[in-house]
Amino acid sequence: MTLRILLIDTDAERAHALEKTLSESSYAQVTRAGAEDLAAAVDRSRPDLIIIDMALPDRDALEDIRAVAAANPIVMFASTDDPTFAQEAIAAGVCSYNLSGVALADVKPIMASAIALFQRYRHVETELAAVRAQLDERRQIERAKAILMKDRRMSEPEAYRWLQKKAMDESRKLSQIVAEFVAAHEAPRRERKS
Amino acid sequence: MNETRLRIGLLRLTDSAPAILAQEFGYFAEEGVDAELHVEPSWANIADKLTYGFLDAAVVVPPLAFAVETGLRGLNQPLIIPCNVSLGGNTITLEIRLAEKLRTAAPALSVPAALRGLLEGRGAPLTLGIVHAYSTHNLLLRYWLASGGVDPERDVRLVVVPPARAVEALASGQVAGFCAGAPWGEVAAREGVGRAVATSDDIWRNAPEKAFAVRRHWADDNPDALKGAIRAMARAGQFCDAPENASYTGALLSRRRYLDVDSHAILSSLPGGAVVSRNTSRFWRNAATFPWLSHARWFLDQMARWNLLARDVDQAALAGRVYRPDIYREATAALEISVPVIDSKAEGAHTNTWDLEATPNPIAMDSDTFCDGTVFAPEGQPAAQ
Repeated sequence: MTLRILLIDTDAERAHALEKTLSESSYAQVTRAGAEDLAAAVDRSRPDLIIIDMALPDRDALEDIRAVAAANPIVMFASTDDPTFAQEAIAAGVCSYNLSGVALADVKPIMASAIALFQRYRHVETELAAVRAQLDERRQIERAKAILMKDRRMSEPEAYRWLQKKAMDESRKLSQIVAEFVAAHEAPRRERKS
Repeated sequence: MNETRLRIGLLRLTDSAPAILAQEFGYFAEEGVDAELHVEPSWANIADKLTYGFLDAAVVVPPLAFAVETGLRGLNQPLIIPCNVSLGGNTITLEIRLAEKLRTAAPALSVPAALRGLLEGRGAPLTLGIVHAYSTHNLLLRYWLASGGVDPERDVRLVVVPPARAVEALASGQVAGFCAGAPWGEVAAREGVGRAVATSDDIWRNAPEKAFAVRRHWADDNPDALKGAIRAMARAGQFCDAPENASYTGALLSRRRYLDVDSHAILSSLPGGAVVSRNTSRFWRNAATFPWLSHARWFLDQMARWNLLARDVDQAALAGRVYRPDIYREATAALEISVPVIDSKAEGAHTNTWDLEATPNPIAMDSDTFCDGTVFAPEGQPAAQ
C-alpha cells in the first residue's frame, strides 16, 4: 500500500533530505509544499498524512482540514495512544496530521524518520546558535573595550579588567554587562544620525 | 523563596500584554512564580504543547481551551480558566474596494445585511479568513454574518489564516476579508489593503476575548503558585488598562522577542493609545479579568450551534469544570480589589452603563449587548441583571 504524504517545510535542505528518506521506502509518495494556500495544496494532493514543521504559523491553516479532507476529524501525531512518541515529535519540532485513517502501525515508521531528521537538524541549529552567540559576545567585548580605551583612555588590559570587575561586583554575566554598556554608549550616537 | 516554574504560551497579539508585562515588571517573581514566556507561532502549537505538557499555561481563545479540555483535536488535557485576560479587540477587515462598496451600497442596513445584498449577485461564495476553527473570531464572525441573514456555511467560505499571515493573505487575494485580533486589522489598514467594517464591540459589546488557561494537573500540584500567577495577571491587567501606560506597553510589546511589529500599530489597540478609540482591548475595566460562567456558556452554545461541539455535551457541567470564578475570588482576596458576587450575568441585557454588585464596592460596567439584541441567559443561571 502506498501512502500519500504531504510535506510542509520551508527549510529546503531538510525537506529534501526527508523526501529522499521516505521515497526510498516503497510505500510513500511524497509531495512538498511551501507556505502557500495550504488548504488548496491539501485539496490537490489528497494526502493520507501531512508532516509539517511546527515552527510555521501555517499550521493553523491545517487545523480546519475538515473543509478539504474527509469528514473524519484529524488525528494528531498519528499515534495518540503513545504520548512519548508525540512528545519526541514536539521536542523535535515536527507534527503530523493523519487524514485518511491509515493504520497507526503504517504511519509510525514514517514519523519516526521525520522525528530523527528534525532532531538532527535541531542539533545543528543549536550548535550554530551557540557559535553565533559566542562570536557576538566577543564582538561586543571588543566594542566595549574600544569605547573604554577611547573615552577613558584605558589600556586594553585595563578596559577588560574594568568590565570583568563590574560583572563581578554586580554578580552578573560579563556578556550582560558588556551588552548594556555598549547599548548605553552607542544609543546617543545613533539618535544623532537620524 | 522556592520558586515554582510556570511555562506560559502566547501568540504575537496585543492582548498578550498582561502576561508580558507581569513578566517584565517582575509581578510573577514577586509571587514566587518563575514564569517563562514562550511566544509560539500558531494556536495549534499552543494547543499541542498544553496537551503534551510542554506548557503549563497559555493566553488562549477560550473555545480552544474547551477543545483541548474535551479532546476535540485528539488527545485531551484537563484545563482550568481561573482568570480572563481581555475583552474586545478584534476587527472584521474587508478588502478595501469591497469595504467601500458596502459602505455606499445600503447605508440604512446593518453591515452584514448589506453584505448579504452584495453576495446575492455573486456566483461564488466570498472567502473569509479566521484564525482558528476553535477561536472567538470564528464564533463572532459567524454570529455577525448570521445576524444579517448571511449563511456562514453556504454564502461564504471560511478558511483558517494565522493572524500574522492575515494581511498578506488579504493583499494577495487569497481571502476577501478576515476576522483577527489586534494589531492585524490596523496593520492591514496602514498598508492600505483593507478596512475594518466591524469590531468585536459591533457584534457583542465587551465580548470576552483571551483567557488565562492552566493545566489542571499543574494547578492541583501548585495551588499557591496558581493564585500568585492570577494576582500577577490581574495587576498587570490594571497596568495595561490605564491610558497613561499605553505608550510604555506599546513599546514593550513591539520588541523583537515579543510582537515584532511597529509600536504605533499596537498603540491603536491599547486603552489610551488610540486617537479615535474604536477598537481597544480592555484588560481591567468592566470586570475584564473575571472568568464569567455566562461567557463560558455562550462560547459552548455557539460551538454547538456550528457543530464544533457535539450537541449532547453537558454544557453547564463543562463550563463549571473549566471556568473557575471561585479560584479567582480566593486568589484576589489579598489584592483589595472589587470582585463580582455572582458567577453569571444576563449577557446582552445591559443596554446602558450599570452597576455590577461586587465586594467591597460595586463595579461600574458598560453595555454588553449583542448586534441582534438577543439576551443570553442559559438555563440554570439567574436571569436577573
